[in-house]
Order: sequence, then structure tokens, then C-alpha cells
Amino acid sequence: MTTLTHRRNTSGQLNELIITSPPEPVSLTDDHRLSLASRFRAVTSTEHRRIDAWAVEQAGRPATSFRWSPATARRVLGNAALRRVAREPSTSITNAVREELDDQLLRAASGRTRAGSLASWLARSRHPVLAVVSAEAVNWTTQVLEVAQGLSAPYEVPASDAYYDVATARTTLRGRRELVVAHDGARIIVRVRSGAPGKSSGPGLRADLTIDALAHHDGVAPSRIIGLWPEAGVALSVDGTMADLRAGARDLVRTAVVQRRSRLATAA
Amino acid sequence: MTTLLPPSPANVVDALRGDRAVRPLANTTSAAGLRAQLEDGIYTIMGKQNPSAPLVIRASSFRHVPPVTDASPSALGRIRGVLITQLLRLHCVGEDIDHAFDEAVDAWRGDVGTNDLVGRLEQMDDDERARLATDVTAHCVTMTRALGSLPSRWMPRSAVRASQRLAAGNVVLRDVVDLMIGTNVAGRSSVVLLDVTTSPLAENAERTMRYHALVETLRTSIAPLRTSAFSTATGELWASDVDHELLARSADEVLEVINELWKGQ
Repeated sequence: MTTLTHRRNTSGQLNELIITSPPEPVSLTDDHRLSLASRFRAVTSTEHRRIDAWAVEQAGRPATSFRWSPATARRVLGNAALRRVAREPSTSITNAVREELDDQLLRAASGRTRAGSLASWLARSRHPVLAVVSAEAVNWTTQVLEVAQGLSAPYEVPASDAYYDVATARTTLRGRRELVVAHDGARIIVRVRSGAPGKSSGPGLRADLTIDALAHHDGVAPSRIIGLWPEAGVALSVDGTMADLRAGARDLVRTAVVQRRSRLATAA
Repeated sequence: MTTLLPPSPANVVDALRGDRAVRPLANTTSAAGLRAQLEDGIYTIMGKQNPSAPLVIRASSFRHVPPVTDASPSALGRIRGVLITQLLRLHCVGEDIDHAFDEAVDAWRGDVGTNDLVGRLEQMDDDERARLATDVTAHCVTMTRALGSLPSRWMPRSAVRASQRLAAGNVVLRDVVDLMIGTNVAGRSSVVLLDVTTSPLAENAERTMRYHALVETLRTSIAPLRTSAFSTATGELWASDVDHELLARSADEVLEVINELWKGQ
């Protein structure tokens, strides 16, 4: 049975979701990891596959061709700016975004970026486009910071998303996260999303939850994952129970299966 | 005896932020009542029937009440509006605007890629384009002079989107606020909403202002401090403090639009 709950996105409700999170987090063992790896290995792939919550929400349907735009760049830049603001609270959001943008441009100028990366796209963009990218990133950072400042529990801004390479299965899993909140020795993951939640948002959250547990060195699952949709004013949460972790793992494998089928269909 | 008048605010944003010391406590109680008012009103209109597709309400839905089939302004007017919005975004992050039209077009193309309106812009002949460029530059000068610089400590953000589902998703309220300043964290009401339009302000601007405040209240469950509209055509600013009466009135206006759309189904 899933533990998906629906709340309004207010700081009061968010704090309540944190306080009422399950007290004893569950852990994934080596057997769990081996079992997941064998299932992924059974879904053969000629190329390296990357699966995330978005792919799960899209039920493995092939993604339309990705292109960088102010909207697709805002999370990467916005979260990096958020880390700067967390390190140096006296830095304004606008300045933090500007510094991050400068860093990306410097990286591109030094030739340390690959084609198709954010840095190389930014380097090719005209000045007004960079300003719109900044404006989008400022919006993103502000909304995540507003969430963070409303928290009554200590939190940290993670250095990156959670990544897990499935052993010998040519598969990388990516779990997105904006904030990690500490409560009673357990951790709670907060994800911020654009738009409004859909019917597949619950499975998406479960996928992020499972990947975060897999990426943890001891396999300890977050006691709860909270997805926030500030544009819609909605908060959804899923508990880190074994049932939800299993469901999340099943969805990830199922996504790999659908991706393989659609690749075979395209090849045929 | 010498009487000193209170100093007039230096710019639009100063006027909107007002005196920090006299800001009221954040109104966190109105949202639930407004949601109930809207849900009850929608049930009264639709009963147990569902529309074939969700009824979508936007700020533009208030231009004409009752809504008319073709309420959109001319393509030229829409392009001008979009370009001014892009320039506002540039201004919001402290970007110096030297060539308003060219920079706005670059920003727009970078933002949306291609669409019908971008295509219309590309089809313009040189005369039409030059007229539009002059127009956009004039509106931009009015806007940047009136707004002044936006200090980053006020947390300015532009094109802030919101979407609220009502009646089990049969009605969707969508909104984009051109400029938002202040935050909801302080415990005091400090969020100010600004709608920037290239048209002269008219009755529909008031409805739009109220609609922005309503959707923001439903989205965050906290009523904003103030809602306002600024015309880059006339330099006129309308601002209103947000209270429950204003929000309830906007909810009535939303129901009026829903009723018209429902009758047209």
C-alpha cells in the first residue's frame, strides 16, 4: 500500500510533514541491491541508459529531443546559486546567480566542457538570453529559499543530486533533490517541481526516494520524501517504507523495459 | 508656520513597498474561505455535470466580461506586450538595456524558440519593424524610469507562474504575474504584485489586479500586501491594498467568467 499524502504547500503543513515522518527509517541490504542489479541486467541494452523520476512519470516513453532554454537551465543554475547563498548568507540571490553564470562561462572558455553541455550553450547564447536565464534562475532560487526559510528543522542544500550506478547493468539512476532536512536522526528529502502535479507524480516521488536510498552508502532510506509544486501550491509526500521502496524499484525496472521495447520498435 | 508635505516616493517600487513599519500581519485565514466560495459557486453553476475540457481562466479572461469570441488584441499589440515583458525581466536582474528592441527580440527568441507570434515578427517589413522598435523603446523608457533599480534584497522575480485547479480539475485558474517583490517568510504581509501593461489602464486592469491577488492567495495560502498595475503607455500606476473584500470580489468575478464560459459550452 502506498503512503502518498496530499497537502497545501504552506510552511505549517511542510513542518508538520517533517515532524510526523516515520521515526525509524528502513535500509536496503546488499541482497536488495543484487536483486535490483540482476533485474536491470535482464533488460539488455546496447548503450548506457539513464533513468530518473521524469522517465518513470513518462512511463518510459522516449523523450522529445532535449534543448537548453532558460526554463531547462533554471534548476541547475538556481540550485548552484542556492548553495552559494547557503555558504554565504550575505550574498544576494541575484549576485549568486550571476556568479554561477560567470563560472559556467569561464568553464566554457577554458575548454573544459563537452558539446551540448549547459556551459557550452550559455557560451553560445547572446547577452539578453543570458539575462532571461538569470531571471528564471532567480525565480527558482527564491522559491526554494522561501521553502527552506520556512523550515523549523535544520536542513542542508545537497552538493548534487543522488546518483546510483547499477553494477554491470549499464544503468545510471538519478534522484533529484533540493533540500535534505534532518529530523530525529533521520533525513527527509524535499524536491521542488515546476507546474502542477499529475497522476504519475506519486510514482515519480517513489522513484526519487528509492534512488536516494540506493545512493546512500549504508542503503538507509529517507524517512519521507516531500514533493513541492509551488506554482500549484501543492505538496505531496511518500514515506520511506519498504513497500514504497519496492514499488519505486519496480517502476524503475519497468521504465527500463519500456525504453528497451521502444528502442527495438524504432530499430525495426 | 511652515508645513512640510510627506516626501513623495522616488519610484513605483518604493511607492508599492510603502512604509515597512506599518505593514499588517500576513493574512493566512482568507485562502480557505475563498476556495470554499469558488467551489460552492462552481457547483451552483455546473451542478454535477463536467465540461468536455477543463475551463481555463486567465488574467486575459477579464478583458471582456462577458467573454467574447475574439478578445485578443492585434498581433502587433501582443508582440509589443511580449517584448516589454522580456525587457522587464532583463531590468529585474539588473541588466542595462541599451538597444531595447533588439535585446527584447533576442531574449524572446531565446525564451520560447519559435511560435506563431515570433513568425509574425519575422514576416514584418522594414517599416513595420521600425515602427514597432520605436514603440517598444518608448514603452521601455517609461517603464525603466518609473521602476527605478530593483534592489536584490527585495527579492524581485519576474513572470511568476501560478496554476490552481478547482472542482476536481474541471476549472483551472492560470496566472503569470509580471513582477513580484517581497517574500512571505517574514510573518508580515510583504509581497507586492505588479502587472505591467502596454495599454492605458481601464476597468479591466482593476479586475486583473484583483485576479493576481486571488490566485496568489490560493497558491500560497497567504494574501499579498498589495496588488498593482502599471501602464507603460501612460506611466499611470494603480495600486490597491489586498484585503478579504477585494479577494472575495475577485472570486465573484471569476465565477462570473466561469458562468459565461459554461453557458457557451
